[in-house]
Parts: sequence; structure tokens; C-alpha cells
Amino acid sequence: MSTSLTFSSFKHWFLVSHRRKYFHAYLFIAPIIILFGIFRVYPAIQTLAYSFYNVELLRHRFTFIGMENFFSLLEDKIFMKAILNTLMYVVCIVPISAGIGMILAVILSAKFRFREFFKAVYFSPFITCTVAAAMVWWWLYNPQFGLFNNILELLHLPPQSWLMSSRQALMSIIIFSIWKTLGYNMIIYIAGLQAIPEQYYEAAKIDGANSLVQFFKITIPLLAPTTTFILIYNTILAFQVFDQVFVLTGGGPAYSTTVVVLELYQQAFLKHRFGYASAMAAVLFIVILGITIIQYTISKKREIVY
Amino acid sequence: MRLQSKDVIFGGKIGLYVVLSAVAVIMVAPFYWMFVTSVSPVQDIVAFPPKWLPSYLVFGHFVEVLNKAPFHFYYMNSLVVAVVSVGCSLFFGLFAGYAFAVYKFPLQNFFFILILSTIMVPFQITLVALYILVAKIGWVDTLWGILAPNFASALGVFLIRQSIKSIPPDLIEAARLDGASEIRIVLTIVAPLIKATLATVGIILFLNSWNDFLWPVIVINSRNLRTIPVGIALFKDPYGSMNYGPLMAATVISTAPMLIVYFFSQKFIVKGIAITGLKG
Repeated sequence: MSTSLTFSSFKHWFLVSHRRKYFHAYLFIAPIIILFGIFRVYPAIQTLAYSFYNVELLRHRFTFIGMENFFSLLEDKIFMKAILNTLMYVVCIVPISAGIGMILAVILSAKFRFREFFKAVYFSPFITCTVAAAMVWWWLYNPQFGLFNNILELLHLPPQSWLMSSRQALMSIIIFSIWKTLGYNMIIYIAGLQAIPEQYYEAAKIDGANSLVQFFKITIPLLAPTTTFILIYNTILAFQVFDQVFVLTGGGPAYSTTVVVLELYQQAFLKHRFGYASAMAAVLFIVILGITIIQYTISKKREIVY
Repeated sequence: MRLQSKDVIFGGKIGLYVVLSAVAVIMVAPFYWMFVTSVSPVQDIVAFPPKWLPSYLVFGHFVEVLNKAPFHFYYMNSLVVAVVSVGCSLFFGLFAGYAFAVYKFPLQNFFFILILSTIMVPFQITLVALYILVAKIGWVDTLWGILAPNFASALGVFLIRQSIKSIPPDLIEAARLDGASEIRIVLTIVAPLIKATLATVGIILFLNSWNDFLWPVIVINSRNLRTIPVGIALFKDPYGSMNYGPLMAATVISTAPMLIVYFFSQKFIVKGIAITGLKG
């Protein structure tokens, strides 16, 4: 909040004579403000506060221990593994899903028959419940009877152990997540493409630029604001990955797929170490905030106004 | 780049359809295999080469699922939670959106930014304190517990405010001159004018609620209070034998209604998500 806004708000308070409106304004926003205050804003701040405490919920005992939770986190090998896995997941899924989404969007913004049909099909995984979809993929990934290994065998390729191997499990989860989120990025890119004025392409055509040149010189630069949004939004969501890991591997084998939110869930709700889990939440918050700010500043510099 | 049919990037129109169809097969294959497995006899499920169509239809897997787990409760719970949270979010969002769009009042911007900031702060970060709070209220292992953080939606307030801003102010002023109360104006004049926005927000919130897993799995302990995602996640026996038939029957039971609704309203849903950008 800047001071000028507060000042102008005060000016309104004195100048506007419709006091009756204030009553209604506050009455109308009161439920939302109260609900958000209690169930969203307070818990966020309180979780950050708990990260400095040892919380024993059953005994109602909250002991201030300073930075101790954070020091323990630094020595927690499993949490470090979770951070690395989460980063790996984010670094893989965000650009791949955004990239394929953009290519599909470009193809689907041409006019041809069954266009809407393809759009609907590509989007369908996104509206499906992650838990249910992951359950289906768990079956597809089955090393013995699963469809994937059956197809590999039909093609005379060696079968893979997928989720059972600590080397492939994280990749298998990433493949699932690309399948799940692709359609969303495609839809957002289609909306972004519709905002690009047609004249640019017409001018390029007159200059003799072919489709590929148009794609790299017009489409990609002018889609930059959409790309910024997609990268930031996908990154935030990818850092919160939980459902598919819970269903597909539960973090195994040998912690090769454990992620931050899964660790947080297990520490808090299976081991009842609430203070420790809060410290994890604080770390997650700082990482997400930091990366969002970095992405935002970088893309602001590159943005083109049209 | 708007591809024209004469463009040759994929070797013309046929190439285009081949590529699009190949991607479509990959996207749909998991769903197809889910349906096939759910109605195939056991020997088909473990057969090699895979049986693309069941040798004969079997509905025993569905019977087994319904006997093993109370899916009718899961459905009811999911439905109650979704309907109440969507209803409350739309109702509160309508009034708050109206206040932010039409009135000028002290601290207006502060409150608006406060609400929007809850979109940017991930829900996971509130988990621990939210659970402790819900435990204090006594809502652990109740549907109220699942609902607690879902009575209101920041995205809803934002979209509804944007939509109300586009209503001509004269319309509202005229109603005031006629002596209509503010509450009445919101419910009988504003709400019908922004029907499309309300429907879009409603569908997005419904989807989110229906598919939500992390918070319900934390709050709910009793079997009969599980929502559908919690129900299927815990239906899977981690060291389980080859019970893939019933497992796929369970996923069919839980995903089929959404897929059918999507099939009939996909244009609307896709457009809604494209307009709003965000979910939840």
C-alpha cells in the first residue's frame, strides 16, 4: 500500500457524503474479509510463526526454539533430496509442457475441420481428477502387465521398470504431469495468439517471410506476455506437486521421488512434527516467491509492447 | 502464425491430421485403457499381446468395488462439499465484487489487494496452521473441515468485480431512484446481468473442489466421510496383488461423470478457463 492511496482514501472518507454507501460496502465485503482473514491470511502468517517453534499439539505446548528447525532442515538429507527432486521436476516439466502447449496452440489456431474436437481431446486430462488419472497411469506403468511395457515388447524394445526404479521413477512422474498439464498451456496460448493483430503476419508475408520465420520473428516475441504468465503459473503449481507423487510412488523407491509438499505432509500429519513442517513451508514460500520475482523481472525486461 | 491449409510445415493437410491424431491417441489412450480394463475379464487384463477389446464384457469389477468401498458416500460427500463451497463462493463473491466495483470506500484498495494476495500465496503454505486452527474449532474429520478454506474464492471476487464494472452505472442508479434497496439491486439486477461470469466461475470452482485431494486427505479420517479422490487414493492397496480390474472400475466410477459433463459442455469450459486464466 502506498501512502498516497491511503491519503486519497482518507480524503474520500471526509469528502464523500454518501455515508450510507460505506455501510453497504463494509457489509458486502465483510463475509469475504472475515473468511479470508481466518482461513487464509491468518494460517499463512501463523505457519511462518510456527516455524520458530516446537509444536506439541496434543499437549497444547508451543516452545520457542529460534532457528533450530531451519538448522535441522539443513542437515536433513531426505529434505535436501526432496528439494532437489522438486527442482528437477520443475525444471523439466515447466519448459516442456509450455513448449508443446505453444506448438499445439499454433497448429490449432489455423482453421480446419475437427479443430474444436482436437482442442477438447487435448484438454481433457486437465479437467480429470489428478488422483484418478494417476491411478490409471500407475496401472499403465506396471512393469509386468502394464500397457507401456506391453507396447515396448510389441516393438521388440526392452521393457522398463518405470516407477519401480529409482532412476526412472521421477521421469515417469514428469511424463504423467506433462500429459496432465499440456492442454491447459495450449488453451492459454490459443487465447494469447488471438490477441496478436493479423496485420503483422500480412506485412511479413508481403516481405516474403515464410511460416518458420514468422513463427520465430512474430509469434514467439509477441507471445512473450503469455509465456511469462504460463512460466510463472506453471512454476508455482509445479513446486506444489503432491497428488501424483502420493499415488504413483509415495516418494519411493529410496526417496528418489519425494518432493517438498510430500515431506511436509508426512512430517506434519504422520509424524506430528508441526514446527518442523512449518519450517519446510517457510522454505517453500521463500523459494516460490524468489523464483517468481526473478522470472517476472527477467521477462519484464524482454517484454515487447505492441 | 496462422497456418493456412496451403502451408507446408507438416507436408500439407494430411500431415497435419496425422500429427494431430497421433497426439490425440496419446492423450486419450489412458482413458481408453481405463475403460477397457474395467470391463475385461481377468485373463484379458494380464494377457500378452494386450487385448485392445475385451473378449467379453464383465461388470463384476464394478460390483466388487461397490461392495468393498462405500462409493455412494464418497459421491455424496464430494457433491455436498462442491455445492456448498461453490454456492457460498458465488454468493459472497457477488456481494464483495459489487462493493469493489460500484462503491468507493476507505481502505478499498487495501482490502482488494489483501484478497488477491491469497491467489499468489500457495495454499500448501497455510496447511499446518490451518489444520491446528480447524482442530481447535473441532472440525477435524467433518465436512466442515474440508469446507473451511473453501467458503470464499479470491478468483471469484476478482472476476465478478471485473464483470460488474462493465455494467452501465445508469442502470444501477435508475434502480436506486425507483427505491430498490442495495441488496435487492445486487440480487435482481446485477446477478442476472453477469450470469455468464457466474457460470464460468461456478464451473471452475466446482472442478477444483471435485478434484481436490491434499486438504481432504489431511482433514478426514473416517472412511464414510472421504471424498472421491481420497476414496480412490486409499482404495489402492500399495502392496496389492493384481486387482487392476476393480481399481480401474473405481477410477471409471469417479471420472466418468466429469468426462460426460465435459463432453457436453467442453466449449463453455474451455472458453471459461481461457478467459479466466487461473484456476481456483
